Amino acid sequence: MKKVVDFIKPAAILLIVAAVVALVLGLVDMMTRDRIEAIAQETKTNAMKAVLDASSYEQLTLDNAPADVNEVYAAEGGGWVVQVTETGSQGSITLMVGVSPDLACTGISVTDSSETAGLGAIASQQSTAGENFRSQFVGQTGTVAVTKDGGTINALTGATITSRAISTGVTSALALCETLG
Amino acid sequence: MNAKKQLTEGLITNNPVLVQQIGLCATMAISTSLFNGIGMGLSVLIILTCCNVVISAIRKIIPGQVRLAIFVVVIAGFVTIVDLLLKAFIPALSSALGVFIPLIVVNCIIIGRAEAFSSKESVFLSFRDGVFQGLGYTCVLVLMCLIRELLGSGTIGGGILNGASSFVTLDGTGAGIRIIPEGFGAGALVLPFGGFLTLGCLMAVMQFALRKSNEKKARKEKEVKE
Repeated sequence: MKKVVDFIKPAAILLIVAAVVALVLGLVDMMTRDRIEAIAQETKTNAMKAVLDASSYEQLTLDNAPADVNEVYAAEGGGWVVQVTETGSQGSITLMVGVSPDLACTGISVTDSSETAGLGAIASQQSTAGENFRSQFVGQTGTVAVTKDGGTINALTGATITSRAISTGVTSALALCETLG
Repeated sequence: MNAKKQLTEGLITNNPVLVQQIGLCATMAISTSLFNGIGMGLSVLIILTCCNVVISAIRKIIPGQVRLAIFVVVIAGFVTIVDLLLKAFIPALSSALGVFIPLIVVNCIIIGRAEAFSSKESVFLSFRDGVFQGLGYTCVLVLMCLIRELLGSGTIGGGILNGASSFVTLDGTGAGIRIIPEGFGAGALVLPFGGFLTLGCLMAVMQFALRKSNEKKARKEKEVKE
């Protein structure tokens, strides 16, 4: 018959290994946490500056914001930056939309997406094609839609769903700002 | 076991992707630009080497019944460390590779080498095995990236070369050197099924070359005997 120690020994060793790994992970997390948070904050600020340049942004708390709006910031000197999340073709797309005081879109920036590489992913890329696509949204007002749906936005080739999702996001950001101001 | 033999095994005769055929999921998913390929390859190389060394160092005290659990804990630990470090120091790579860095935990290259090699061999040999198998993986990734990026998007060195601020960049903004005019690439190759096609072709070429060289060796031995 097996002794009790034969059962306890493997469990004890596993416990020790797991404890050591957990300790090391804790240390690495302590070292990197501040940096990771700073980078996330900086990425966000850069995205906001790219869509609507201002010296500072003040976050607004809304009671009745639509479900796709995450955060709204009032920019110093007029206008808003709205962060919206829409459903794309491969997952959710999060974008920053800049809105001027006269309710026109001042620019968009895709901060998080998992669209198809080479097709929908162009919407978030720093390439000529990506810039061209995003610059179409500048100056848009009211309801924004792709040409297929009767709007003026030329959808990315092979990525109508992505383009539609972004148009929806811009429309809902514009609609929200209309109620604000 | 000498270093040269281990190197040939890692790169060619026992290449993790093309011969052992493990770790294919990430290989197909991320090999769309050179930046991703090199980043992923080096991440796997580092994690594999660290895991091999640690597992080999504690191989005598690992009880057989719980060895897989211990392997997974060690691997998950190193993967999380690399994931955090990438997030903190190379955020562009971290966002380009996305979920595939955490997924290295379940990458069978690492647990495969732990089970087949480092749990039996000395620390030094395991270290070399990690480096050489990692190099083999990186080479295949880079090759896949070069083929898919050139034929699919028409560029070379996407994410690394030809950046906005300098020629060689590490922030993933490089546009790559354009070889084929925009719009003329076979975009399908960048999609997942293009990954299957490329990998299939590479494996076929590899198997063909290996068989040829084996036949040649067998013939030579026969001649020597006669």
